[in-house]
Amino acid sequence: MATFQMQVVTMDGLQFEGEVERIKLRSAHGDIAILANHIDYCTAIGMGVAKVVLPDKTERYAACIGGMLSVMNNVVRVIPTTWEWSEDIDLERALAAKERAEQRLKEEQLSKKAQVNAEAKLYRALVRISAASPEM
Amino acid sequence: MAAANMKAVKLRIKSVQNTMQITKAMQLVAVSKLRKAKELADNCKPYLTILRDTLTTISIGNTDFQSPYTKESDNSKWLYIVIAGDRGLAGGYNANMFRFVEKEIQGRDYAILPMGKKSLEYFRGKNAEIFTDEFDEVARVSVSDCFELSRMICDAYKKGEFGHVLMCYTNFENMLSQTPSAVSMLPLSDFAVRKKQEDEAVATEESGKTSKDSGHSHKAKKAKKPELAPEYDTSMQEEERRRFHQILYEPGSEEVFNTVVPEYLAGILYASVNISVASELAARRMAMESATDNAEEMIEQLTLYYNRARQSSITQEITEIVAGAEGGGK
Repeated sequence: MATFQMQVVTMDGLQFEGEVERIKLRSAHGDIAILANHIDYCTAIGMGVAKVVLPDKTERYAACIGGMLSVMNNVVRVIPTTWEWSEDIDLERALAAKERAEQRLKEEQLSKKAQVNAEAKLYRALVRISAASPEM
Repeated sequence: MAAANMKAVKLRIKSVQNTMQITKAMQLVAVSKLRKAKELADNCKPYLTILRDTLTTISIGNTDFQSPYTKESDNSKWLYIVIAGDRGLAGGYNANMFRFVEKEIQGRDYAILPMGKKSLEYFRGKNAEIFTDEFDEVARVSVSDCFELSRMICDAYKKGEFGHVLMCYTNFENMLSQTPSAVSMLPLSDFAVRKKQEDEAVATEESGKTSKDSGHSHKAKKAKKPELAPEYDTSMQEEERRRFHQILYEPGSEEVFNTVVPEYLAGILYASVNISVASELAARRMAMESATDNAEEMIEQLTLYYNRARQSSITQEITEIVAGAEGGGK
């Protein structure tokens, strides 16, 4: 299958650079997959698991949150706020974070700001958990 | 007389030695901090380059601008984010930055957002309009600070408080050279304009090639060039340019830019702060190294002078004793 050049870069550095066959991730308005020879394209990234299929058919998963994706001249640039490869995710920590956020959300009289904060934490933890265990 | 002179020289040596101790210590501190800062800056660098390239390409190719962030602005007021150091004694680091900014602000209506104590001091002294002085300590700026700051800038921008935002930071080229540079932040249409100006500057430098300095920065720019694929060339033909106009935005360019821009400002800010901090430390290390070298040289010369004075005073004493002994023997 045709491949294309992809770069993933975050504030922590270049996370990935090379040929890929396909990338699937969650944009701000739903899941999208990019194949080779895509039209020039630009969208905002939501929160979700990204799946990258390499030319040798191996699949890699990552937690991908925020930022933008652009396709220019068959070069895909993913510039997220957070990009964590599944193998780098500390599953236990994510599970603990989920637990904590859920507890917090159960509390009554939560201020608006605290609630938004806890929800964001919960979503992040959920994304990490599902990225770390994609078969689940 | 010789004895008094010797004492003065000895005191001088001592004081130079003390100064040297301080500069040496500062140099060592800068070296150890620099290692960490450089790592951070190196991590940020690809992010900054790719982000800027992407936004430049988009802004060159875009025609369909509804978002307030992308439209060309007719407001002629500029906001300058000036990142300088918290402390002095870093060679020309702060001075170079201010000279650079002075050139930029010439003839423009502007406000300043200083980052770093030196920056705040300088622009207070100039009585410039200051956007906020909350972020005066550059060493303590965190990612969340950058997000907060970017939100503040975006809100003010949307309210029309200013029409352009330009960030001035010091680029870390290598351990020995750091140059002040500027990145356009808002509106996105400024990206293309800025790029064109820079390209023109490079072109004139190429043809001029007068001083050693311009030759150097030209080299640095040329080294960066291969990172940019040919499609980023702003001087491309009109026809090619039109091809780029067909960028698909989902769900729509306005939504995309409204979500993406504030995040990107934060990203650019954070990366630039890190790079500037590394530059500051590198500049300080260099300055302190040369100060230590100078002190060493001075001590060497003074010691030589001191020894000569001692020698001559001993010779004189011997001559006096011999002369006295001869006179007494008669």
